[in-house]
Amino acid sequence: MIKIDTLTHVYPGSRKLGPRTAIDSLSLHVRDGEFVILSGPNGSGKSTLFRILCGLALPSAGRVAVAGYDLFAQPAKVRQVVGVVFQSPAVDKHLTVGENLRIHADLYGIRDFAARRDEALGWTDLGGRIDHKVDTLSGGLARQVELAKVLMTHPRVLLLDEPTTGLDPASRRMFLAALGRLQKDRGMTVLMTSHVFAEAEEADRVAIMRDGKLLAYDTPAALRELIGTEMVVIQPTDANGLAERLRAEMGLAVRVHGDEIRLEETENGDGLPLLERILQRYRPEILSISIKQPGLEDVFVHVTGKAVPEHAHPVRDLQRTGTL
Amino acid sequence: MIRVAFSLARREFVRFIRQPQRVIGAVAQPLLFWLFLGAGLGGSFRPPGMEGVTYLEYFYPGVMVMMMLFASIFSSITIIEDRDAGFLQGVLVAPVSRMAIVLGKVTGGVAIAMVQVVLFTAAAPFLGLSLSLGSLLMLLVGFVLTGMGFAALGFMLAWPMKSTSGFHAIMMVFLMPLWLLSGALFPVTGVPGWLYAVMMANPVHHALNVIRAPFYGPPAEMFASGQYLASLAVTVAWAVACLVVSMARVGRREKGAAVAAA
Repeated sequence: MIKIDTLTHVYPGSRKLGPRTAIDSLSLHVRDGEFVILSGPNGSGKSTLFRILCGLALPSAGRVAVAGYDLFAQPAKVRQVVGVVFQSPAVDKHLTVGENLRIHADLYGIRDFAARRDEALGWTDLGGRIDHKVDTLSGGLARQVELAKVLMTHPRVLLLDEPTTGLDPASRRMFLAALGRLQKDRGMTVLMTSHVFAEAEEADRVAIMRDGKLLAYDTPAALRELIGTEMVVIQPTDANGLAERLRAEMGLAVRVHGDEIRLEETENGDGLPLLERILQRYRPEILSISIKQPGLEDVFVHVTGKAVPEHAHPVRDLQRTGTL
Repeated sequence: MIRVAFSLARREFVRFIRQPQRVIGAVAQPLLFWLFLGAGLGGSFRPPGMEGVTYLEYFYPGVMVMMMLFASIFSSITIIEDRDAGFLQGVLVAPVSRMAIVLGKVTGGVAIAMVQVVLFTAAAPFLGLSLSLGSLLMLLVGFVLTGMGFAALGFMLAWPMKSTSGFHAIMMVFLMPLWLLSGALFPVTGVPGWLYAVMMANPVHHALNVIRAPFYGPPAEMFASGQYLASLAVTVAWAVACLVVSMARVGRREKGAAVAAA
């Protein structure tokens, strides 16, 4: 449904800065009806790719086909079948919910507006607030207006750019639940960028990019298999010092990520005895130690070799309680 | 396309109406300008060949042009806010013609300016100016044409801008002089030769001619005047040119730098 073929995007340099490659021969294929999450550290090229996919920028080289249309030769055709939810709100907050939907319906040439509007609002919690201005709504409700607006046109392909940024965990979950349900009901193809790995667990496939390249693209389960079946995670007082000693004194393959030490390639069942041995020898230096089933966040850390971006931290704890 | 443009224009209008301070400011400012300058300069205004004309009356169409110019430009530069607030991105990815995006903004701006200037037209009888139905119609046509040109000019200038603060500089060094040198404040007769040339090349001067003429003759007389027809042609050409440039600007997509074929 979305076919990206050796796409390259280079930002032209200025007098002070040289040209910068944001996307480097990237190929990615999203199948019909799939829910794909695109993830990567800041500056990995996600946003540039998103701008190209919604037709706001032209790449340096490469091809993109959406629903069988060439995105660069037939942008008008592609716009007909694609719905876009941006990270920053694309509604007029001085207008009411109904007025915003009305404009959107006009933009997409929808005839039976009243019926479509009621259908689009049916799954939301916006009932009764149709005449309220958008800037009087909570962040979660405003996001629902955004999604309701885009889904009103029945897009075959939905592109979302970090749509849950700024939402509290409950609103986030509600937004995703609604999105997931509608995606299945309508057989929509969804490509969504996200930093939040709890969201990625719901996806059919997850793409991880860094420095404009695709590093991994597979189902969440297959990605988790990239690292062992179990892992021991230690939070010591001095990560580098203890890692050295674990390597030298116990012969263990350990990796340091920030203030954590990880033993990633641990076979199932080996984790507990290993944990006990480590605890016996180094107890005074250890703040916490745990056995963990790898989650997508751990895959991300493993694949990109960078710590998780800053603003993903608030939800990291949530996700961890779910996977421990 | 018409439906899209209409829908976007209606949005502009609704937003305008919901900001009462904007409505009051837009009407009050030119009105004060007119009354103060008209009263102050009235005694010293004695241009040759205009003995029967008070300054208040001379300045009247000039204030109309000012209203059209500033009201339509101020509403079309809200495109900068639209981009900033995110509304524009949603419009750009919609399957609408780029012309409709421009026309929506421009028509909205013209409609807002029209409300003010039509209200102001109600002052005509107090100046002893009378308009026949035909002349009134030609006046309205003049308003629409000049408004289109000015709003499209604002759109064209504002499109590549990142913030409205940059627009103030353009306002003072470019738009204000355009109006000052239109003949709104003083007639072209009796100015130095170089100024005359500048004023004749100024499209706002021709917009002023188009708006002034209906007060001083029936449509038949206007169409018989070479000067009126020339000004009308300049005004139309100006509007079309600004619309075409605006559309080209909206249609252009940011492009990645060329790379050597792999």
